[in-house]
Amino acid sequence: MKLIQTVKQDALACFEKIGLPSKRDEDWKYTDASRLAGLLEMSDANKKVDSNGLGMLDLDAYRIVFINGVWDEKQSNLPKGVAIQSLTAINDSKLFQISADAPLLNGFNALNAAKARDGAAICLADNSVLDKPLYILHVSNQNQIIRHGMMLGKHAQANIIEHFISVGEDKALSNASTAIILKAGAHLEHSRIQQEGKAQSHVARVEVKQLRDSSYTFHGVELGASLSRTDLVVSLSEQGASCDLNGLFVLGGRQHVDHHTRIDHIAPHCTSRELYRTILDDRSHAVFNGKVMVHKGAIKTDSKMSNGNVLLSKHAEIDTKPELEIYNDDVKCAHGATVGQLDDQQLFYLRSRGISEAAAQELLTFAFADEVLAAMSNQVVRSYVEKEAFAKLPHGDDLEGLLGE
Amino acid sequence: MASNEDIQKDLEAREYDAGFVTDIESDTIAPGLNEDVIRQISAIKKEPEWMLEWRLSAYRHWLTMEEPTWAAVDYKPTDYQSISYYSAPKSDKDAPESLDEIDPKLIETYEKLGIPLREQKMLAGIKGSNVAVDAVFDSVSVATTFKKKLTEAGVIFCPISEAIREHPELVKQYLGSVVPPQDNFFAALNCAVFTDGSFVYIPKGVRCPMELSTYFRINALNTGQFERTLIIADEGAYVSYLEGCTAPQRDENQLHAAIVELVALDDAEIKYATVQNWYPGDKNGVGGIYNFVTKRADCRGNRSKVSWTQVETGSAITWKYPSCILRGDYSRGEFYSVAVTTQCQQADTGTKMIHLGKNTSSTIISKGISAGRAQQSYRGLVRMGKGAENARNYTQCDSLLLGDQCGAHTFPYVEVKNPTATLEHEATTSKIGEDQLFYCQQRGLSEEDAVNMIVNGFCKDVFDVLPMEFAVEANRLMEVSLEGSVG
Repeated sequence: MKLIQTVKQDALACFEKIGLPSKRDEDWKYTDASRLAGLLEMSDANKKVDSNGLGMLDLDAYRIVFINGVWDEKQSNLPKGVAIQSLTAINDSKLFQISADAPLLNGFNALNAAKARDGAAICLADNSVLDKPLYILHVSNQNQIIRHGMMLGKHAQANIIEHFISVGEDKALSNASTAIILKAGAHLEHSRIQQEGKAQSHVARVEVKQLRDSSYTFHGVELGASLSRTDLVVSLSEQGASCDLNGLFVLGGRQHVDHHTRIDHIAPHCTSRELYRTILDDRSHAVFNGKVMVHKGAIKTDSKMSNGNVLLSKHAEIDTKPELEIYNDDVKCAHGATVGQLDDQQLFYLRSRGISEAAAQELLTFAFADEVLAAMSNQVVRSYVEKEAFAKLPHGDDLEGLLGE
Repeated sequence: MASNEDIQKDLEAREYDAGFVTDIESDTIAPGLNEDVIRQISAIKKEPEWMLEWRLSAYRHWLTMEEPTWAAVDYKPTDYQSISYYSAPKSDKDAPESLDEIDPKLIETYEKLGIPLREQKMLAGIKGSNVAVDAVFDSVSVATTFKKKLTEAGVIFCPISEAIREHPELVKQYLGSVVPPQDNFFAALNCAVFTDGSFVYIPKGVRCPMELSTYFRINALNTGQFERTLIIADEGAYVSYLEGCTAPQRDENQLHAAIVELVALDDAEIKYATVQNWYPGDKNGVGGIYNFVTKRADCRGNRSKVSWTQVETGSAITWKYPSCILRGDYSRGEFYSVAVTTQCQQADTGTKMIHLGKNTSSTIISKGISAGRAQQSYRGLVRMGKGAENARNYTQCDSLLLGDQCGAHTFPYVEVKNPTATLEHEATTSKIGEDQLFYCQQRGLSEEDAVNMIVNGFCKDVFDVLPMEFAVEANRLMEVSLEGSVG
């Protein structure tokens, strides 16, 4: 039997063992997993998707396009000298290996490993630097299971953007996962922009292993889907590694978005930063759970986490839980969470300058959100997200003129 | 930087200075728990039929429950059949009215604790203002002082078993209304077998003329102590209640599952302060008290206020979340806590602030010091309900780590369902900064003094709000825990 088949069978066995999460699980306390479980049935028939004109068109980047979870070679444009393959092409991949005791691992992740149809395996050689961002566009109108793997060699650098879009009105589930290994001195900027349709659900896992002096920057943007859950697991396993996790949720309607992040400080002298902001309108519900675990021996750990939330409607709900677990004394850890409204004084300042109340509120809300996006290095991606996030705010249209291009 | 290690060494060497056994004969029911035992307890307490029924229904519910395992503590499961559920000092038969009649051994015990009744009596003689003590020695209230002065003010301050007999209408109305018998495993157990505790009722518009105080002390070997405290502050009333605990040295783990219920009606204010210094076990983690307590306050009335202040230095395992349900509009909840864990102690403690009423506010200040191989967790919940317009919360929980074997964890739950609510949560964890130490030392302080000063400064926010009478004891406890070992 080929390695891949064994590994997939193991993943299936793991799924059978752990099963799907329920509300009784502490990690799923605020998110109803049964809403996702009903969507698990996969149809084999591939529906046609018209992906013309979707995604970030004016982005100067290498592109990989997945249609319903399957690589579309015709639309893709790959950089030279970088090993990027469809998962189907590399049959003996260990990318599918999972372990049941990994932090935050749940049944959906195990299913993902057992049943993923395709994904991108990206491998950057030592010292290679991608000259343009790598843009991975996912377009779907049915259930899809995608599994990506990224490995950056020593001192390699890349900017990778994952973008999820769905078309059509059907209820469907995207189950995506990305496994990342950063070798010594590697740097990865990784954006994940989830913009699926109203009926769509999304469940994802991003797992990062960082070696010596590597750095990882994550931008998670949640705009779409009716229910979206992401588990982000970062392991700082060698000295000097650092990670920077940013998240922005702009939600309306009955949207429910849940991010669980977990940072393991295993080695000494590692740094982690986390900044999550949410803006909630209508009956939307956001969940943020950030856990920093400082293991024995991880001395000189420096960790900071901050989570800010603005509720715009009386039916919106936020549940946040910034956790610290520390087994060591030589550390500097801090976290903070706030829930509140816009600052009255700031509102007054803007109004005294002749800006209407509604516009002033919009402007401040936008500024609140934009702080997260400021860390994005690619301006095209940033302004795309700003524009799409705007459109979700109640008076987004007026604002565009106010801010200018 | 030898200082941290020194403190650590000293902490490990720190011995439990309240560890002694007073030799008083006790009336004890044979170990075991069944309906007969509950009937027996109820009979000894001369309780009315409705109380027995209440206990039995709690017991039947308890049988269907499982012991919770979610707390970040690790201990051997308790065998509930091996515990004796009732123990009363025999010498209480004469029901002493004044200090002179109290068993001299008891006074001796309190004297060893450093805050004897006599001292308080003395204080009374000198200053004229005072602390009334309802001393709980094992499970029966032995002495109640200053009763007359309180009666004049209309305040009821008595053992709860007496209140069940004498004030059934109040007890029936409020008992279990804040912590229902079905609330949790330990609460159900307590409801079934509680033997004594204090009952306080402050009538409308009365400001309690003195601080009320109870000393809990687990004494007879193998008797779990199941205290039940119920405090009701009627409209516009004010009371400050102090609870202090120490226990003699033991090798077997002892279970303590108390319930404290506070009810504050319109414009009432209750201050509840605790100094807890039960036997924490020896340096290998053998022995020590299991402290599984349910404390909850219900701010039922508008503009009511409840504040919890606690200094926790003892117990092998602590599982304790003093909470406030802010039901009334403009009601306010406060939680100030200093928790010190050393050696093998484990503590999972924090608070819950449930905002339901409009314009409610709450403040949480939690300071944890973890040393040796101790594990300490802050677990808190702040919930802003849909109707909690303009609710406000400020939370700060800081942890200080001494030694590379200890752990400090934070699990703050925040749930907000109202857009006008404002909430801030901050937490930090660190060891004593080398720059801070250096600064103090270059001003001529010894390393030990510097560490001391920094630790004291760290706890100051909480000590500042302790009642005067307690500040002395808290300081003494900290001295024993840290200062004594450093200097």
